[in-house]
Amino acid sequence: MNGWMNKIVKVDLSSGKQTIVSISEDVRRKFIGGRGLGLKLYTDLCSANIDALGEENAIVFSTGPLTGIIQTAGRYQVTTRSPLTNAICNSSSGGFFGAILKKTGLDALIITGKSSKPVYLEITDDSINIKDAKHIWGKNTHETMKTLKSNSSSNVSIACIGPAGENLVPYASIMNDKDRAAGRGGVGAVMGSKNLKAITANGKKEIQVDNPEKLKTMISTINTLIDKNPVTGKSLQLLGTSVLVNVVNAHGMYPTKNFQRGVFNDAEGTSGEKIAETILQGRSACFKCPIACGRKTKTSNREGEGPEYETVWAFGAQLGISDLETITEANYTCNELGLDTITAGSTIGCAMELYEKGAYPNKMEWGDSSNLVKYVEDIAYRRGVGKDLALGSKKLAEKYGRPELAMQVKGMELPAYDPRGVQGQALSYATSNRGGCHMQGYLISPEILGSPVFMDRYSIEGKAEIVALFQDISAAVDSLVLCRFLQFAISIDTFKDILNVVTGFDYSDVELLEVGTRIYNLERKYNAEAGLSRKDDMLPSRFMEEELSEGASRNRVVQLDEMLDRYYKLRGWDENGIPTAETLKSLGI
Amino acid sequence: MKNFDVSTLAKMIDHTELKSNSGEKKIKNLCDEAKQYGFISVCVNPANVEFVTKQLEGSDVLVCSVVGFPLGMNTTEIKALEAKKAVAQGASEIDMVINVGAMRDGKHDFIREDIRQVVQASAPAHVKVILETCYLTDEEIVKSCELAVEAGAHFVKTSTGFGAFGSFEHHVRLMRKTVGPDIGVKASGGVSNFKDAMRMVDAGATRLGTSAGIVIMEGAKLFKYAPDAWLEPEIPCHTCPARSASISKLPKALYQYYTNMCLKCDYREKYNKFYE
Repeated sequence: MNGWMNKIVKVDLSSGKQTIVSISEDVRRKFIGGRGLGLKLYTDLCSANIDALGEENAIVFSTGPLTGIIQTAGRYQVTTRSPLTNAICNSSSGGFFGAILKKTGLDALIITGKSSKPVYLEITDDSINIKDAKHIWGKNTHETMKTLKSNSSSNVSIACIGPAGENLVPYASIMNDKDRAAGRGGVGAVMGSKNLKAITANGKKEIQVDNPEKLKTMISTINTLIDKNPVTGKSLQLLGTSVLVNVVNAHGMYPTKNFQRGVFNDAEGTSGEKIAETILQGRSACFKCPIACGRKTKTSNREGEGPEYETVWAFGAQLGISDLETITEANYTCNELGLDTITAGSTIGCAMELYEKGAYPNKMEWGDSSNLVKYVEDIAYRRGVGKDLALGSKKLAEKYGRPELAMQVKGMELPAYDPRGVQGQALSYATSNRGGCHMQGYLISPEILGSPVFMDRYSIEGKAEIVALFQDISAAVDSLVLCRFLQFAISIDTFKDILNVVTGFDYSDVELLEVGTRIYNLERKYNAEAGLSRKDDMLPSRFMEEELSEGASRNRVVQLDEMLDRYYKLRGWDENGIPTAETLKSLGI
Repeated sequence: MKNFDVSTLAKMIDHTELKSNSGEKKIKNLCDEAKQYGFISVCVNPANVEFVTKQLEGSDVLVCSVVGFPLGMNTTEIKALEAKKAVAQGASEIDMVINVGAMRDGKHDFIREDIRQVVQASAPAHVKVILETCYLTDEEIVKSCELAVEAGAHFVKTSTGFGAFGSFEHHVRLMRKTVGPDIGVKASGGVSNFKDAMRMVDAGATRLGTSAGIVIMEGAKLFKYAPDAWLEPEIPCHTCPARSASISKLPKALYQYYTNMCLKCDYREKYNKFYE
């Protein structure tokens, strides 16, 4: 079969049993791979009333038909129930692991049950072996990868958890290829709950392509489109994702001190430009990627990768900290211990505001970077102040009686764009199936970056339509398992052409978009069964009630209710945000 | 604008590369892209015309050369000679820059003659007259258009892309109104996405000069999924030349001209103070 390897394996860690899972041609066509395939496999196995960290939860690693073939397609998707949000969670990571996993012959790997002792999975072209992980349990992610690599060929790629995952921190990440992260939603904790430390992949199988000649032309076209687009062809290449620091700050929507302000006076000192002047050592790229947005960096004491834009913000402006070296080292520490930087930073920010308001006993002050790295370590090991911070901001703020101070949606912390400056992104945050994230519908693209065109960022007109469109396109592209950045440069019509050239299928652009719509609705259906509804499509009250007092987004609040009604209607959901039977039927769910 | 046919966009685009640092590899790519996307022409500097003609041989993509570019301050004889040479080398369209300083001085006969000689030297190629609208008042833009028509030009064109700012709907509309339906209007400079392109066409442009042709065409594929939403109007200040007027880039008199335009505008109170 062209594009796919036509093999899905379920490994039950409780019994050690391995099973081949078959899916029909119809399911493959309707869900493709990655996020779609992972979701279908997951929801077929797991109901919505299970414990995310319980033995009954499953975790699915999935690739797509383009994985291992075209630019950026070294990625993989992880699908499970999130211990942070209790909602459906998909988390994606770049690097090379996805491509090498697929070359072992797998489209997807489903892991169920719980091992009685720490183990790791060794996957080769011929077999999947469950191996003792006693020697790596307790090690950080870099040490784990180094140890496992030392016993393998140079081609091996490793995804693993660090101490945060072992200690079931609900926002622990899965790390692969040293510093690439499936960061959000606590997928690392789900691995930890199964006593699964790592997965090593060492595949060399060929991936068949329907039309290799046309594929060469398509790859060249993709390179041209990437090169011509100002975001992918210039900004991300030269300054990495942190190119956004000055841009977003100038728009007055760079969240500062737990979203109390929209302008950070020291933004310049933590910007992409400043990184390039100070700590930058070089660029790094994922599988066949010409963008190479990754930053190799070095501080006085350590070296590693990053920080990315969201991390610069989470450990910087969000905490009132402008010390780039310390921000960078907190990022390194998160990578090593296996923690999501956004939730880690934002939870610390929440604690700082709780302390400022007299609701939190531990002294944590804005701008104090002296303990930042220690906080991160304490979270991963759940010790000292880290016991509280490991809860995530929602539970932390609830525990101390000020739930409104957690800047989250569905329990997931918001990223680095104040929604008061971007109405469409606000709606996208609120309706994101996995919680407060920017990746499921990146409205910053038209509202700030002008890609594909500029939309009035303060207007709510037309935003419901574009949010739904972007969410569906993103879900479709996630089912191909490509980098989100390609969406700046490449339209869904062109993605469809690539998919058809590789698979020999005859998807239309409308059909590919409908795959995204189907994914979004099935995720929503699962969440509804888990008890989520309109009340959870809600932003913290700060964004609807408190105007920003300065900067280019001053005097603004989010007009969520008006957009939400329109959005639900457009989606074919009821007034509670739940897909109607008719909508689900029309999508073949 | 909602009835705009995206598929007609390619045949309006002059696929353009005019930077001084563009070598042959880049120009060759430009030609390959123009053929692939079906753009109407490739627009380059005179030094690249011969090379482009060879690259486009056998295709229906036209060769367009700029003349007196980008300042328009060459003598008329040199502009005419430059145009003649470009046509001899294969150009079928000539984009000439007027002497903006002379226009500002009100030397209308000189401007008319400057254009006429280039039109004569370029025949049978078509001539587009670049006004560099950022440096002209509305009255001067109207007069420049009239002079271009009188001199036999086939198009009037807004900008070089090297001036203080590029094309604005306001100017394109004014130019179309002045030249009538039989003369082409080319919007160039700052046309970077499909909404810009559609806005210019809606204002009366029949040709678009841009180096972002591919980005525009790829983005335009999204139009069909939510046409009404994409075309939600931006606030008028975002598409007004007065908002782009920069004290560091414009002569004092023109900066004051645009500042006054803004001060007298009804939208100022409603929108501008909130939008930065």
